[in-house]
Amino acid sequence: MELKEALEAATADLDVRPGFVGDVMAGARRRHTRKLLAITAAVALLAGVTTGVALTRSSPETFTAGDVRLTAATAGDLADRTDVIEQALTAWNGKRPVPVTEVSSDAHVFWTANTPDGPAALIAQSVRVKASAEPQTLVGLVHGTEVVDQEVVYRDGREQGIYRIGDGEATYVVLGLGERVFWSVNPVRGPDLRYSRAWQDAEIHDGVAVVRAKPAESPVFLRTTIAPAADDFSRLGERISPRQEIEQAPPRTGLGWSSVLWATSRQDPGKPGQSQDKLVSEDLRRRGYMDYGHPLVLWEVRAWLPDGRYAVVTETNGDLIGALYQADGTFDRVLPGGPAVRGKPVPVRLVLPDGQGTILADRNALLGPEEREGAWLAPPGTTEVTIWRSGDQVVVPL
Amino acid sequence: MQDFEDFVALRSQALLRTAYLLCGGDKGAAEDILQDVLMGMYGKWRRIRTSPEAYARTALANAAANRWRRRSRKPEAPLELGAVPTSRGHEQQVVDADSVVRALAELPRKMRAVLVLRFFDDLSEAETARTLGCGIGTVKSQTSRGLARMRELMGEQVLTWN
Repeated sequence: MELKEALEAATADLDVRPGFVGDVMAGARRRHTRKLLAITAAVALLAGVTTGVALTRSSPETFTAGDVRLTAATAGDLADRTDVIEQALTAWNGKRPVPVTEVSSDAHVFWTANTPDGPAALIAQSVRVKASAEPQTLVGLVHGTEVVDQEVVYRDGREQGIYRIGDGEATYVVLGLGERVFWSVNPVRGPDLRYSRAWQDAEIHDGVAVVRAKPAESPVFLRTTIAPAADDFSRLGERISPRQEIEQAPPRTGLGWSSVLWATSRQDPGKPGQSQDKLVSEDLRRRGYMDYGHPLVLWEVRAWLPDGRYAVVTETNGDLIGALYQADGTFDRVLPGGPAVRGKPVPVRLVLPDGQGTILADRNALLGPEEREGAWLAPPGTTEVTIWRSGDQVVVPL
Repeated sequence: MQDFEDFVALRSQALLRTAYLLCGGDKGAAEDILQDVLMGMYGKWRRIRTSPEAYARTALANAAANRWRRRSRKPEAPLELGAVPTSRGHEQQVVDADSVVRALAELPRKMRAVLVLRFFDDLSEAETARTLGCGIGTVKSQTSRGLARMRELMGEQVLTWN
């Protein structure tokens, strides 16, 4: 048995526990906030000492996070339905998310309305969490008698503010938070391999947008002040997603590799132009060759070509894709590479234009007459390649 | 920080597998150090976002080593049969998967890290050296000795590598 094969077999069924991603995000934010608080406290203490002011700790008698939603008049078309509000608060009070250590009694429905899936209510409440000395705001959505999700909103922190009800034909309840909400489904891939998305400006009433969309149609939501263009895939920082979609494991497609292979001798600089340390997938995403939902791919095969240009192959959403750059880093073109099929001998085969040869790669093999490790730039006209795997030699027709 | 969340969602499984091997088959410890490493990356994300995978691997290797030091040089937790993920497939694969992790757990931590990064994560010698903060010569010698030791520990089971 090959060592790699044995190691992969030993870990094949290992996966993170359910909720791991959420735990990491919550813990990371807690730790980051704690660090900022420690710095703030140190600065405050220093300021106090230098001005001769004795700092005394006061224990506030009130316990409020100060979020305006805690005292805002209830909005929405069910705002006068006290039975709906009471039902929502009853459901809300029965659930407390992990980071919360103490709750205030100020839980308040700040929006409640009929949605295509029935009555829903948005609630805010002051809470204490381990990560912070100051009260923070817990915001969430109740649908009927079920708490859909709750989110601790830290002061000056980013709020996702988007909740999904249902799976097949879902209702998305999105907080505007003073900005506009754009949404889009079903990205279109053109003959030039670039994606585009038709964006809709969600109607916001009483600070909330209610959008009907199918999760299977790859809906994407942006909270922003500037409308996105159809070919703009660079707005990752403005994307908001409900927790179900953040924690959903991406489908396993493609080769599953995670390393950089060189089809030619490695040269310095490792890449042309200004993008020395960046993966080509980031560049391809910026240029519209990857959609929002496509996972960041962490493998690529690189080659400096005989005419001085630079080529790189990676994958997007299960398809191989090549990118060609001029020696100065100027983007030249993309090269379609067909499906990325795991287990196929020499799964990466990309014919380069202008007689520059063919990039071949197979992570677990030695390739070509030089027995290169993992990848080889075959000369033009090559019709077969010899590979060595676990000591066995195989000729693979191209 | 959506891209950080994307990274965590996308890469946690692969990183857990690396951590599991680095910890000599202790899944609980692997999950602990992975969570710790990922939480630590959040505050540094702007600096490390261009190569988060490399950063995570280095941090995992360090965390696994520090854990080992904290354990006062005691051997890794014995691998319980229940802790070994059962591989799909025939009986022999289960035996191989079990014994390779047991053998890995017997190696000194640096030697183990070198083998995991070279043969599981497919890093080159230079990349492995960078990740572990050592020289390429060290990687070469640790690889050679590690493979020889694995052969000894694996007994009659044939273990090859390319």
